[in-house]
Amino acid sequence: MLDAAATGGDIAAARPQIAVLGIGAVEQHGRHLPVGTDFLITRELSQSVAAELDAWLLPPIPFSLSECHGPMEGTVWLKPITLAAVLRDVARSLEAQGVRLLVILNSHGGNFILEPAIEQLNRELTSLRVVLPPEVWAEVPGEPPIFETGKQEVHAGEAETSTILYYAPQLVRDDRRDGPVTAGREFLDYTTMDRINPEGTWGYPTRANAAKGERAVRARVRALAAFIRQAWATLVAVQSQATT
Amino acid sequence: MVTLNLENTAWDFKDCPPEVALLPLVCMEPHGPHLPIGTDGLIMSAIARGVAERMSRSTYLLPVWPLGTSGAHLGQPGCVSLEYQTLWAVVRDVALSLHAHQIRHVVVLNNHGSPLTTTTRPQGNAVVKTAVRQLNYETQGLSAIWVQPFAAARAAFFEIFAAAESDLHAGEIETSLMLHLAPDLVRAGAPDSVPASPPGYLDAIPFQRLSPAGVWGRASLASAKKGGVAFAAAVGATVDYIEQTFAALHGETQTRSVG
Repeated sequence: MLDAAATGGDIAAARPQIAVLGIGAVEQHGRHLPVGTDFLITRELSQSVAAELDAWLLPPIPFSLSECHGPMEGTVWLKPITLAAVLRDVARSLEAQGVRLLVILNSHGGNFILEPAIEQLNRELTSLRVVLPPEVWAEVPGEPPIFETGKQEVHAGEAETSTILYYAPQLVRDDRRDGPVTAGREFLDYTTMDRINPEGTWGYPTRANAAKGERAVRARVRALAAFIRQAWATLVAVQSQATT
Repeated sequence: MVTLNLENTAWDFKDCPPEVALLPLVCMEPHGPHLPIGTDGLIMSAIARGVAERMSRSTYLLPVWPLGTSGAHLGQPGCVSLEYQTLWAVVRDVALSLHAHQIRHVVVLNNHGSPLTTTTRPQGNAVVKTAVRQLNYETQGLSAIWVQPFAAARAAFFEIFAAAESDLHAGEIETSLMLHLAPDLVRAGAPDSVPASPPGYLDAIPFQRLSPAGVWGRASLASAKKGGVAFAAAVGATVDYIEQTFAALHGETQTRSVG
């Protein structure tokens, strides 16, 4: 695996075909989780996935579309156009040096500009394709769901809290407050988190523990690596069809 | 309640100011060998009219905006596509001009969508979600929402359609709706084609490559009867979604926190 410790010569010698770019966020996560929660998760996940695929690991993008939290302290956001422009610039610099697949690992659910931006980029680029794997937490086949409240979770709930309890337990505070919000999750399109739940949570952090976090991370890394391998194989097949 | 549209005068609007505006927007793209390229527009204009008539507040029904983001079909005959920035700008400009004359509630009927998704994530014209978000974050006093009728009615659609779980484009659902609304425009020989790839691959691989038949679903199972039942369900579910969502946003009472 190549990362920021590699030299230009190392990259030239290895000619990596696949690069992994995490997208994090800096935003409020209730009383119990740090503002860098999404950044931390994507940094760890992209490291594991890049290692699994022997890909080029890029440093994650720290900020993204967190305007949905409104004026809550600790939140820093980009506008959608800014994130799309960053993505385009990164993709073009990778294409120029022969990378053929850019995998986006997005850990912030509010980045809805990614899909249209990626679709457009894939038409503009010649030899590089960008893929965005599904953002859901994976399950272990044949076993009950890892998270009891995974389906009700939008922010700083059981899944995110379990993940940080696994990755960095020292960063999780004791004051966990559930946010049992019943609205559809698209209400974050219509209003902001501070008005939906001033506690900043949407989900059940009191159900979290490190063991769930560990199982979920392992399942997700496996599922992401499998998705990316399959997408890569399909792209190679489609491109060889196109040239014959 | 009163519905205002292109046929009204400006003085009608003064006498009866609409509280809500409906902006229907669609895509123009190939729909297999059996359906017209304007399928989305034909279906949406009927749904939008039905929705406007059933709204409990006075409603301004805007004309259907005919073009969306059809990148996966680009280069296929009949396809006219916008870049996402263009569609976003259209939604923003329309909403802001309505806002300028005191229409505070804007509903984007974002193409018909699919029962494969929910009301949380659009299928097709994906940028509309972002466009609506930014309007709400950036415009004081404006409340914009978006909805896709087939997603709002997904529970009913899974009962009505045998192959709902594999229906993405020009399949059993759209063909049934067209058989109900405009049977003269439906050609014989509707094919079945269900690619093995996840629909998300359409962001990287052209539709034609993933499904050369031009269809994603089982169009041969379509019928006018299914189309009629589904049409009523889509209109009803869309009205319910709009009214419940605005009611919840006004109350903003969906917030509870347990310490």
